[in-house]
Amino acid sequence: MIDPAAVVRRSKARKPPSPRESMSRRNVIVRKTIGYVVLVLMLLVIIAPFYWMVVTSFKGNLEISNIPPTLFPHHPILTQYEQAFGVYGFGVYFRNSIIVSVSATIVVILFASLASYAIARLPIRGKAPLMVGLLAISTFPQVAVISPLFILLERLGWLNSYQALIIPYVAFNLPFAIWVMRTYFVGIPKELDEAARVDGANLFTTIFRVILPLATPGLFTGGVFTFVACWTEFFFALTFNNDTAFRTIPVGIALFSGQFTIPYGTIFAGSTVAVAPIVILVLIFQKWVVAGLTAGAVKG
Amino acid sequence: MRVSKLDRQYAIAGYIMMAPALLVIGLVTIFPIGYSIWMSLNNIQSTFNGFSFTFNGLTNYAIVFTNQQFWQALEFTVFYAIVTVAVELVLGLLVALALNQPIRGRGVAVAVMLIPWTLITVISAQMWAYIYNGIYGVLNYLLMQVHIIGSPVLWLGTAGLATFAMMVADIWKTTPFVTMILLAGLQLIPEDLYEAAKIDGASVWRRFWHVTFPLLRPSLGLATLFRILQAFGLFDLPFVLTGGGPGTSTTSIAMLAYRAIFNDGDYGPGTAVAVTTVGIVIILALASLKALRTQVGEVES
Repeated sequence: MIDPAAVVRRSKARKPPSPRESMSRRNVIVRKTIGYVVLVLMLLVIIAPFYWMVVTSFKGNLEISNIPPTLFPHHPILTQYEQAFGVYGFGVYFRNSIIVSVSATIVVILFASLASYAIARLPIRGKAPLMVGLLAISTFPQVAVISPLFILLERLGWLNSYQALIIPYVAFNLPFAIWVMRTYFVGIPKELDEAARVDGANLFTTIFRVILPLATPGLFTGGVFTFVACWTEFFFALTFNNDTAFRTIPVGIALFSGQFTIPYGTIFAGSTVAVAPIVILVLIFQKWVVAGLTAGAVKG
Repeated sequence: MRVSKLDRQYAIAGYIMMAPALLVIGLVTIFPIGYSIWMSLNNIQSTFNGFSFTFNGLTNYAIVFTNQQFWQALEFTVFYAIVTVAVELVLGLLVALALNQPIRGRGVAVAVMLIPWTLITVISAQMWAYIYNGIYGVLNYLLMQVHIIGSPVLWLGTAGLATFAMMVADIWKTTPFVTMILLAGLQLIPEDLYEAAKIDGASVWRRFWHVTFPLLRPSLGLATLFRILQAFGLFDLPFVLTGGGPGTSTTSIAMLAYRAIFNDGDYGPGTAVAVTTVGIVIILALASLKALRTQVGEVES
């Protein structure tokens, strides 16, 4: 596991060129130029479609299907937002998504921290096959389990319920969370556990009072990845919770259609509101997302 | 070695602590996969009191493998996976190498690159559907302004073009994430190695092949594996963008299974398609790890 802060520090603290390297100064200028050109191009390509979506959500229906398209709304209006939340009940989808994603994330963090502490620290057998097994499970496509889960949920009478999504989301996100958190636990000196034990702390005091507070970066990483996966999930949500009252945002937006035309303005108003909170969340936890990207590839 | 009493207690505590996680994973993934295999070997009828199972061996697989639609969906999914994963890896590597130069603003770049990853695929699909719209889409307008096309193109209504348009939407959304994985990998390569190679007189090209590439292999392996798996689960994008059309030209294998099971009630054959997909994904995952010589052991250590 790398410390993302160290990466940033290192890249900032590059040595000034020594006299011997002055010959390659032109080389450095070329490299920097390429770097900046790619950077600007990439930012433009990523942002342009987002801009188009957000701008469209402030236009009236006539302007949305106008040729030529308008780069800025003539008269920015909030009608589409009123439509999305007032008429189309987008608020219900929003509430459902929050309930499902938050619950699944909390359960994943709780179960994964217990399991990964056990794998990292306690003298249990078969750790290596277990870790490889978890990796293998996380590669299975969702379609492989869809029909048995559907039959099972139907028998239980759980189709169109929160648990119909929370339980599968927990199961599908646990393997990665365990992998990431184990890496953090392994990085905490074992002496801390022993010191706590000598001081008379039992196992659960040790975990919850001493070790977990030190492993919060791991909890953040596992938590953010789980939350994003739950927030964006569509396949299970479409299959298990088809009823309007239980639709999450992705299902609501996918099945959103007007009687005669596609109501893009209303769709994008709802979408803009759905994009905002998760972008803010991920930017706050940016450091830990970057750490998660290297977690699988770097020796723990 | 003597096993102390405390060790035994701790081992028991360890198993108890793992139980909740393993129970949920077992119940929701391992058991259903086994059950899927069993379902694929049965003739399943939906009746008033639940489902009736009649064992029929490999009949469902025979139905699937002689079905033209299955081969078409498989061909589309494989083609789509190969093209998108290849483009995303090459493009992602080039962008990551460019961003790994000593430039300012990398923090901003990383922040912006995270945004497409957090975007709900369904929203991305609606966004692109509006951009691609054949009557008032902004893409047609821009291409006509610069005289690349003379009249509006039905991007999503023409067989080959719809596949291409969907690939562009996928590449737009996923390349930043691949770039981030590779950039994170690049930043872990010690600067000294490049200095040493430079002093030895190694060219830029040789430095890339002999320093960067071998050390980046774990990150590349991870990105490839992650992308192949995702590409084979392709569902959200065609569901919203094309509905699998025009005709069945953009029907992915996951979509085919979904429709067979939930629209047509063909549980047996539909589940056989799902099980076949799992088999293909496992083979591809192993092959890609082997090709990049990234071993699970190397990753796990």
